[in-house]
Amino acid sequence: MITLPSYLFISFVLFICGLVVMIARKNIVAIMLGIELILNAAALNFAAYTKFINQNLDGHIISLFIIVIAAAEAAVGLAIVIRFYQIKESIHIDDATQLQS
Amino acid sequence: MFDQILFILSAVITMGGALAVVFSNNLMHACVYLLASLFGVAGLYATLNADFLAATQLVVYAGGVVILMLFAIMLTGGVQSTVNKFGIVKVPGMGNAKTYSAAGLAAVVISFVLFKILKNAAAMPAKGQMAYESTVEKLGGLLVSDHVLAFELSSILLLGALVGAAVIARPRHIKDDV
Amino acid sequence: MNNTIVSYFLQFEEFQTVVTKLSEITGANATSLVAFVIFAVAAVVVLGALATVGGLGTYAERKISADLQMRQGPNRVGPYGILQFLADGVKMIMKEDIVPRHADKLTFNIAPLLCMLGVMATFAVLPFSSGFTMTDLDVGVFYLIGVSSLVGVGIFLGGYSSNSKWSMLGGMRGASQIISYEVPVTLSILAIVLLAGGMSFGTIVSAQGAWPHQWFVLHNPFTFIAFIVLFIGVLAETNRAPFDLPEAESELVSGYHTEFTGMRFGFFALAEYMEVFVVCGVVAALFLGGYNVPFGLGEGTFLMEKLHIPAIHAKGVGQLLQVGSFVSKTLALYYVVIWIRWTLPRLRVDHLMTLCWKYLTPIALFNLVGCALWMFFFHGQSIWQLLGHLGGGHGGGH
Repeated sequence: MITLPSYLFISFVLFICGLVVMIARKNIVAIMLGIELILNAAALNFAAYTKFINQNLDGHIISLFIIVIAAAEAAVGLAIVIRFYQIKESIHIDDATQLQS
Repeated sequence: MFDQILFILSAVITMGGALAVVFSNNLMHACVYLLASLFGVAGLYATLNADFLAATQLVVYAGGVVILMLFAIMLTGGVQSTVNKFGIVKVPGMGNAKTYSAAGLAAVVISFVLFKILKNAAAMPAKGQMAYESTVEKLGGLLVSDHVLAFELSSILLLGALVGAAVIARPRHIKDDV
Repeated sequence: MNNTIVSYFLQFEEFQTVVTKLSEITGANATSLVAFVIFAVAAVVVLGALATVGGLGTYAERKISADLQMRQGPNRVGPYGILQFLADGVKMIMKEDIVPRHADKLTFNIAPLLCMLGVMATFAVLPFSSGFTMTDLDVGVFYLIGVSSLVGVGIFLGGYSSNSKWSMLGGMRGASQIISYEVPVTLSILAIVLLAGGMSFGTIVSAQGAWPHQWFVLHNPFTFIAFIVLFIGVLAETNRAPFDLPEAESELVSGYHTEFTGMRFGFFALAEYMEVFVVCGVVAALFLGGYNVPFGLGEGTFLMEKLHIPAIHAKGVGQLLQVGSFVSKTLALYYVVIWIRWTLPRLRVDHLMTLCWKYLTPIALFNLVGCALWMFFFHGQSIWQLLGHLGGGHGGGH
């Protein structure tokens, strides 16, 4: 039967996977993949609580804003990655040691 | 019945995709698995009768974010040096056993914390389920009444992100002394 | 509950008796079983029909181009060469299936499938008629934009994985073109959503009428501009000429599908032709009145009241007429797409981006504002209604 804990478990798995990706990878784009997973886990939780506990649509609104923020984050983050690659010719996270080039 | 089939399929795709993102050794493949995982999440939204959220997930992620990521991977995928500026050998970009064990340790710690939290949360009495109905009109109403400030702020955020990304990625003269 | 093809059948008493009989036989509630069977049959019918349309599209393309260039075109296989697409399909299946040695196997294999998946998933909301829509989602147009952007991922992966510079350039151009032109396309669709007051195809189509002056394309000047912008945008999204830069055969050998052979190439080609049909259908539904049929023939009221035909037959005839109306509008647009392809020269890649970001996107944005203002000041009346009021005010009505 589909209940709240099953959704919580899925979002738990997504969150842990995102966390592992963020820590284990050293490539900046790969780290951004992990961030997307974590944001999705959070958004999924909001939608699940809306259905089973809260039952007004505020959770959906917050999920929408999470998706909007994820899109903005991806755009700016990838722009930074490409700029970083132009300057340093690397996208290794350990090469990002300066705030100003 | 259909609900459960859709739920199980989406859950398998979501979790399988997420695990494949973790253990894939090829960044391009990881990005494709991420696409699968995000599609699974869209399916889960559909089972949570959040139809507008599911469609938004498809539009934003499949059409926007994943293609942007693929572009970034392609544009930055050249041959890269394996030593840093001090001549020390770097950890490979996709991680090695050391980083994975550190990440695994962190994952274990965080999952204990999350279990502690989720144990109470999952025990919350479910108030029954919402009936299947369209959420589009209600969401539209809420966005321009209760949440209008957040709505306008997010539009400013998106405009700022658009201009910022364009300014940051604009080609400039690369200084020689870096 | 959304309006689906099942809910069309469930309105008839004859159908209800079948369901109850089946329930008695199986001893359980057979409603969902019957719904599943209906969905499966409808899916097979739609897939088969549209795959045939996609195949015939290649034939139509060659025949029309031959007509425009005063040639004969294919004329050997079958009457007027109409079976040429079957011969081509058989040839493609029998060809050797080559994977380049340094290709990325996984992405090379799934790229054509992603293209097919993105196109086929759009069939679920395509409004063939008021009854024969697989499901009339409340987020119909939005869903369609979302799943059709999978084609961009497929094209990009196809280009990337072949490990060839022609493919790489083609895939890059294709993906950047698709995500760029999605902006003006979505903005023009939003203008129509604003007028119709809903994102489902049922709402949008029923907000229009059967006659051209009731269509959204002639509703007000802004929608006419939106129609032009949307049509240019979908030409670019489906990589059709004059925007076929991803497969520009004179500069990139054949673009993103250079390295694909056999049925994988067939999937790319079929996906392209089916996508052209789908986007022409979407334009027809959004702007050209969709499946509307005049005189109430579509709902069957005319036949039922004047000719006393039973409801199930009258409505069936009405559905057929609606499908005919929708398909004929779509095929007319399909002809225009092919006509444009063989008439206009190809754009240069920087001109393409200039056209999108410097012309179409601002036009679409101001168009959206213009539509909103029109809705606000004239309460959603079309320009013909306003002219009618004007004429009525002077001439004292009709």
